[in-house]
Amino acid sequence: MSSPAMQVRTRIPRIAEVAVEKARLTVVPRRRRPAGRAPFLALVSMVLLAGVIGLLLFNTSMQQASFTTTALEQQADRLAARQQSLEMELEQLRDPQRIASAAQRLGMVQACSPAFLRLGTGKVSGAPCTSGPANALQINPKAPAKPAILNPPATVVTVDPPAAGTDTANSSADTERGNPDRAARNGKKKNNR
Amino acid sequence: MPSPTPPPSTGIRRGSPAVRLRIGFLVIAIALSVFAARLVQLQGLDPNSYAQMAAAEGTVKVDLPAERGDILDRNGRPLADSVSGMMVVADPELTYKNATELAAFLYKKLDVDYVSTLAKLRERGSRFEYIARRVPATLATEVVEEADRKDLKGLDTRRDPLRSYPAGDVAANLVGFIGTDEPLAGLERTFDKQLSGTDGSERYEVGGGNRIPLGESATTEPVNGQDLKTTIDEDLQWFAQRAVRQAVEAAGAESGFAVVMDRRSGDPLAVADDPTYDANDPTESPKADLGSRALQDVYEPGSVEKVLTASSLIDLGVVTPRTPIIVPSQLRREDRPINDWFPHGTLHLTLAGVIAKSSNIGTVLAADEFKQGQLHDYLSNFGLGQKTDIGVRGETKGLLPAAATWTHQMQDRIAFGQSLAVNGVQMAAAINTIANDGVRVSPSLIRGSATTDEGQVVGSDHATRSRVVSAKAARQTALMMERVVDPEVGVAPGAAVPGYRIAGKTGTAQRVGAECQCYDGTNTVSFAGFAPADDPKFTIYVVVQNPRNGGGGGSVAGPVFSKIMSYTLRRYGVPPTGTPPSRLPVEW
Repeated sequence: MSSPAMQVRTRIPRIAEVAVEKARLTVVPRRRRPAGRAPFLALVSMVLLAGVIGLLLFNTSMQQASFTTTALEQQADRLAARQQSLEMELEQLRDPQRIASAAQRLGMVQACSPAFLRLGTGKVSGAPCTSGPANALQINPKAPAKPAILNPPATVVTVDPPAAGTDTANSSADTERGNPDRAARNGKKKNNR
Repeated sequence: MPSPTPPPSTGIRRGSPAVRLRIGFLVIAIALSVFAARLVQLQGLDPNSYAQMAAAEGTVKVDLPAERGDILDRNGRPLADSVSGMMVVADPELTYKNATELAAFLYKKLDVDYVSTLAKLRERGSRFEYIARRVPATLATEVVEEADRKDLKGLDTRRDPLRSYPAGDVAANLVGFIGTDEPLAGLERTFDKQLSGTDGSERYEVGGGNRIPLGESATTEPVNGQDLKTTIDEDLQWFAQRAVRQAVEAAGAESGFAVVMDRRSGDPLAVADDPTYDANDPTESPKADLGSRALQDVYEPGSVEKVLTASSLIDLGVVTPRTPIIVPSQLRREDRPINDWFPHGTLHLTLAGVIAKSSNIGTVLAADEFKQGQLHDYLSNFGLGQKTDIGVRGETKGLLPAAATWTHQMQDRIAFGQSLAVNGVQMAAAINTIANDGVRVSPSLIRGSATTDEGQVVGSDHATRSRVVSAKAARQTALMMERVVDPEVGVAPGAAVPGYRIAGKTGTAQRVGAECQCYDGTNTVSFAGFAPADDPKFTIYVVVQNPRNGGGGGSVAGPVFSKIMSYTLRRYGVPPTGTPPSRLPVEW
């Protein structure tokens, strides 16, 4: 098996022995170049450092933004709540009942039937009128009836008529007749007794 | 083992590297298999719970509450309004020391009861007590911050949505109210799904109270509730409620209501009930007052219904407003006599006179022209016996006896408005048909379109129009109705609005008592009408139940009608038409 190879080997030098001799590989000592290492390391650490610091700064700013977001969101919530409260207050002020009682306090009354003045012709349509008690609108409910215990009958003390002549007696009888309220009250008083 | 043999290949020595190595490997193998078992346990058997535990650490989940939609009147003013609210809560362990001071402070700021608050602040063994609920958020935060400044610790706030009804009792019977957790009545409950929307939620990681950027987060945006627009006019509703209340109180009546309807669109502008309640404080009122009597109460309409009978007869072409009718003092029908509300001898009235004087006998005689079932069909077309479906829950459909069950006597009674029952809005819509030239517009309380929780679609977008009587019949009926408010021939001059042509009809019906299931001697008095009579803009229907002052439709309900109508005409700027009033003869 080796003989043909040997033949080849031996054949080549014959053709170009000098060139083959020149081209033969030899082990050479490795050349060391320590000079290039430092700048490279510096560069890498710079990049690393820059990356780390950049990331840190980025994170910090994100965190800062998050603080701001939280604060602003809280502020927005507060303001939204305030707006709603104010709107609610406004609506309560617009309550027709409140306006009506305010108007009544100012002495305003409900209008009677509507009438129109046409500016073009100067004609009045409808029946203009002055509002009166008939048009009054009662805007508050009647006060509920008090229970009897809170609404006792008036205490009336009947004073015996002064004992005198018949004239005075007659006149007092007249007054009593002429004043049914008092007569009734007297009657009630008697019943109470 | 032989010790002197030096080469390692021949035997294993104690302390030799091979032994150490094997023992070492064994130990490592044992340790690794423990790890492996643990790995299988963590990853294979129950991986999710650990993942969750890890995620829960530092993750907060907040609800993003959907804002409840407002209920608006026709001009966009809120009848029900959502405000971000909060509850003020206390931790008694912290508040115990300063309880008296804190209770006084809370009493001053939040108007809570001093004594019960003090008890809560001193509650032993508790760490959570409600102090005030549904407080406007601004107020709640202010109070807690101020308490903190005063060094009164232990208060906190939580979200607690607040529903406010700015106008109190105005339209409360329709709008309803919200209980502690859920809507309990009215539109609030019927349209709860639409109003409440869908709550969202948000999950994110926090550190020191702030959100961690780039941390895990997931957001489901809330879908806010939609506003509900009603056809109610807040100011008019208020006026109508006050006018009805005044009449109910003056007459010593049980209850009353008024319906104001826009003639063309059929929109109820006001559905005023009395007694009513304050929607901000519904528990103060009896439960019976929390609904809408105009829709939920069923009653016999009485003579107001004669208008429907008369217009149907004219539509059939069997009578005209001038048809002469001989009205005897009493009419015997089979075994029962029919009387009029006023004693009279034999009268010679036209049909217009029968309406103007509200004669039962005259109406019954005219109604004899109906063939079997005709009146039933007309009344059914007018919408009686069917729900109006305007969007109020618990609406009664009234009671129109089925055509097959009608006897002659029943038809006689139905012709003048007894033996059938209606609800208020239903009847108002029927009268509005006359005002609207014979075309019935189905009323809708909701502007646009809305879906109830039961899935029913209601609203003015779905209003239907149907012709019930001819335009001519409707106009002739209106002319007859004008005679009702005539001071000389009519029964209700008190319902007139000076300067305007008013068409109307009184009603005084016997009422069926709840206990005896019979006519118990009490009355339902009512007045329905529209103005201006020759070009109607508004239909108003006023009903007062059981006036104890002995008044009738003309004297009790008529003036209320006049008051509300005159306010409505002024509010909407409707001038008088200026045409001469109806002069239909009432007698012959």
